[in-house]
Amino acid sequence: MSETIAVQNNGTTPSKQYAARAVAPPVDVFENADEVLVVADVPGVSIEQVDVRVENGTLTLQAKRSSDGGGTALAREYEVVDFARTFRIPAGIDAGSISAEAKNGTLLVRLPKIAAVKPRKIAVRAG
Amino acid sequence: MLTGWRDFDEALRSIDWLHRHIDVVFDDRIGSGPGRERPWRRATWPAVNVVETKDAFVYRAEVPGLGEGDVVVQVEDESLLLRGERKSDAPKGYEVHLRERAPVAFARKLPLPGRVDAEGVTATMKDGVLTVTLPKSKDTLPRQIAVKAL
Repeated sequence: MSETIAVQNNGTTPSKQYAARAVAPPVDVFENADEVLVVADVPGVSIEQVDVRVENGTLTLQAKRSSDGGGTALAREYEVVDFARTFRIPAGIDAGSISAEAKNGTLLVRLPKIAAVKPRKIAVRAG
Repeated sequence: MLTGWRDFDEALRSIDWLHRHIDVVFDDRIGSGPGRERPWRRATWPAVNVVETKDAFVYRAEVPGLGEGDVVVQVEDESLLLRGERKSDAPKGYEVHLRERAPVAFARKLPLPGRVDAEGVTATMKDGVLTVTLPKSKDTLPRQIAVKAL
């Protein structure tokens, strides 16, 4: 489900040695009759740095994060690394009309369903 | 039971399983389910990085989903206080498949590494990162004293 090219620090190797790294952002996944909604926390990322891709039934979110200024580190609780996460998406998603927006460090991806899988209400007429 | 490596592997798996379940028990979101959106309290949210520059201490906090009005920044008795709440942004009428971004109420008191000029403190918010810049107090900046010949 999630793809983390992450920091595996087993206590023997300093994590610094891992070159290209990314962390999996926390996400919410919602669904209603019309669409599947994926919301991810990607602090420090603006919309131009986001790459949303759909291919072979997978959705890949990638976001580049630029370093946030110099100075001598006194405390470090988070690392400024890129974000990446991959999901398998169900059949019936209209890949052509997927849209994404970013606001306040959260990324919102809308995956609309194709008309065929949407529930349809059939009007019953009196005969 | 005397075991070979296979069973040893099994034991590790059991420990891992136990670990996950203990985490669930101590997670205070327990019992909330997707329907309820009780904010979660965590002493370590948001994650903060602190750097020192020549003339300031800079605190950066990861607060995705928060806008400029959603966080209170205070400087008091040698510490920096960050307080606020990230409300649930779950859309109505949707089924929940995965919920990793919990709503969170937070209050963090972070010690300041040195004296600061409380008047000159500035805070900015961009793309879910809060940056608080606290200029060092004038008295603590290095000062060069001219040596006069007598």
